[in-house]
Amino acid sequence: MLFFRKSLLSVVLLTVGAVCAFADSDNETEETGKSKNSKGYLTGSFETNTILYHEDKKTSATVPDSHFGSNNYLKVDYYNNRFSIGLQMEAYEPVLVGYPTELQKVALTNYYVSWTDDRFSVTAGTFYEQFGSGLLFRSWEDRSLGLNNAVMGARVTYAFRDILSVKALWGLPRFGMSFSDTQVRGADLSLSLSNAIGMKAVSLALEGSVLNRYQALGTDQSLDGCKSGTTGYSARLNLEASGFFFKGEYVDAGQKYFYNFDYAGEGQMYFKKRGNAQLIETGYNGYGLGVSLSLRRLEWMSSKILNESTSTANMINYVPALCTQYTYALTTLHPYSARTGDLNSGFVNSGEMGGQIDIYYKINKKAKIHANASAYETIAKEGTFRPGKLLFSDTSIDWEMKWNKKFKSILLVSLQAYNPSYGADNVLWQQHIVVADLLYKWTKKISTRLELQYLNTFKNPVKAGDYYLSGDGKGDWMAAYLEVNFAPAWSIYVSDMFNHGGTKVNYYNGGVAYTKSRTRVALNYGRYKAGYICSGGVCRQIPAYTGLNLTVTTSF
Amino acid sequence: MKAILRLSVTVCAFLLTISTYAQLPSVKVENQKGEVISTSTLLRDGKPMIISFWSCSCKNCIMELDAINENLEDWLEEADFKVVAVSTDDARQLSRARAKAQGQGWDDFVQIYDKNQDLYRGMNVVTTPQAFVLDGKGKIVYSHTGYTPGSEIELFEAIKKINK
Repeated sequence: MLFFRKSLLSVVLLTVGAVCAFADSDNETEETGKSKNSKGYLTGSFETNTILYHEDKKTSATVPDSHFGSNNYLKVDYYNNRFSIGLQMEAYEPVLVGYPTELQKVALTNYYVSWTDDRFSVTAGTFYEQFGSGLLFRSWEDRSLGLNNAVMGARVTYAFRDILSVKALWGLPRFGMSFSDTQVRGADLSLSLSNAIGMKAVSLALEGSVLNRYQALGTDQSLDGCKSGTTGYSARLNLEASGFFFKGEYVDAGQKYFYNFDYAGEGQMYFKKRGNAQLIETGYNGYGLGVSLSLRRLEWMSSKILNESTSTANMINYVPALCTQYTYALTTLHPYSARTGDLNSGFVNSGEMGGQIDIYYKINKKAKIHANASAYETIAKEGTFRPGKLLFSDTSIDWEMKWNKKFKSILLVSLQAYNPSYGADNVLWQQHIVVADLLYKWTKKISTRLELQYLNTFKNPVKAGDYYLSGDGKGDWMAAYLEVNFAPAWSIYVSDMFNHGGTKVNYYNGGVAYTKSRTRVALNYGRYKAGYICSGGVCRQIPAYTGLNLTVTTSF
Repeated sequence: MKAILRLSVTVCAFLLTISTYAQLPSVKVENQKGEVISTSTLLRDGKPMIISFWSCSCKNCIMELDAINENLEDWLEEADFKVVAVSTDDARQLSRARAKAQGQGWDDFVQIYDKNQDLYRGMNVVTTPQAFVLDGKGKIVYSHTGYTPGSEIELFEAIKKINK
């Protein structure tokens, strides 16, 4: 395998020479009819996120030995007509606290060479890909989560007009700074029936995927009848007609193995479970109205790169929480993560089922309104569609109003309930949050934005049906954020989150950002609360820390 | 590792010497109906364009697109161009992004959905908001990261320069 990786790297680097050789001779015209530039071009980006940590007794802040952490990314791509070639280097000196610890030191982590035209594409090296909604397979990068599970191998795609599209891939998913020994191979097909018969008013497509994952197993697992290779499938239907849409997806994610925590020398050491998921998305978009309803049921849907690792970046499929992802600090204190199956001693829950609805409406040129409701429950009996205990619910409404050319406001109310035991018992934490977000433009280029937030918890347990509602023991919070902008270059802010109903700790923060063209430099100082960082419905846990944070992003 | 570093730097330096301006890469994205299209089709009408990346959880991106939308009628009287709103929302937020675009009243924008982030990576966007101004041939003539109220004017200034 090592030989293969080294060879692939050589191929990628040597191809640079070949691409350059083409550079002067290739002078093609594309379907656009425009003459393309005969020279290639280089584009790239750099990002650093560096923190100086210090002790803070008030918050029990985590301080690494070095008092320092730095995550750095350099990405460079070269395009020449149909060819492209690129690489990414990452350096963790050392990795920031709360990120997956397998991210260490410097490495050339991603590299690829690719050839693409309107019908075919061939990629050798690392690539990102997903099948359908990603429930069966997704490889992607999310730097805020410390996740990059790019697959290193080969991918071929083919499209026949706008009717048929096929993808096939094979490779080793990246884990940490190198590529794992786990192999994935898969194929995906999409057939547009409406385009095949030339139907314009309706868009109808049938899609399907297959994915095989192989990881050599240990002796215990093999003796227990577990298999190294497992194959999953997905079938999908997409329909769109005059603004109405319907998407359905069924996923069989293949066999999964879970360690039996009650094992004491007899019986099964590993349980076998079949991952499966059902997803329906439907709605309507038109006349200033957007409605979207999602319903989803999951069972044993966690697909890992490595069976044995518990890292948050250890995944080759995408099972996000389907609920609103807020941007206001107090609305994200207890974010929800999708439950993909719990099999612990004394508590078994095969997954979750639930849904959400979003309604966006533009009332007139000045006013817009949005409402969301979501609720997820455990599965009462494995293999059924019977809901069990409430895991999470959120009902929110936000109203945006442009009062005049200078003043704009957003008001948000969110009512959240959260089960901290993930359904093991009936205790729910309940919180109501109110946010006012006010933007005032003093001149064409100078503006201020003020956020005022309040979070109310229920301190005394109240019996409501089968559920006991209570606060999380940390009581009520309030928060304020003030930003002053001098467009287009400067922005400064101060903020504070105060747990006045509980610990009485102030989580203060302040910073300045400077932007010029495609470069942004931001310097912040402050206290950060222990909790979760979520991106795209996937969360990672972070400890409390206090420090000075420098972020630089630039691209060319 | 040092050898790889040195080689990478050499390769980059070499490529820079034979490079020209950056352009719109040709990748597959989804249109408003959910059909897969190539970004090269955006160049067919030969019009200059503003490309602005956004997502449901990027507040400043939405502010920037709203600001462009509010000015669009006036701007189009002075220059001929189009606005392409690129949603980077993944499969989780895709349906919501379409609903949101409708609720924001972005009917005059060309809306494309980059759910696998191929265009995002292809244009080397690191953080959103990120906006580009391209001439009618797809050449990037201006770009900026971040959004502060008022900085949308710079995008229009860049469009006007192309039309001159």
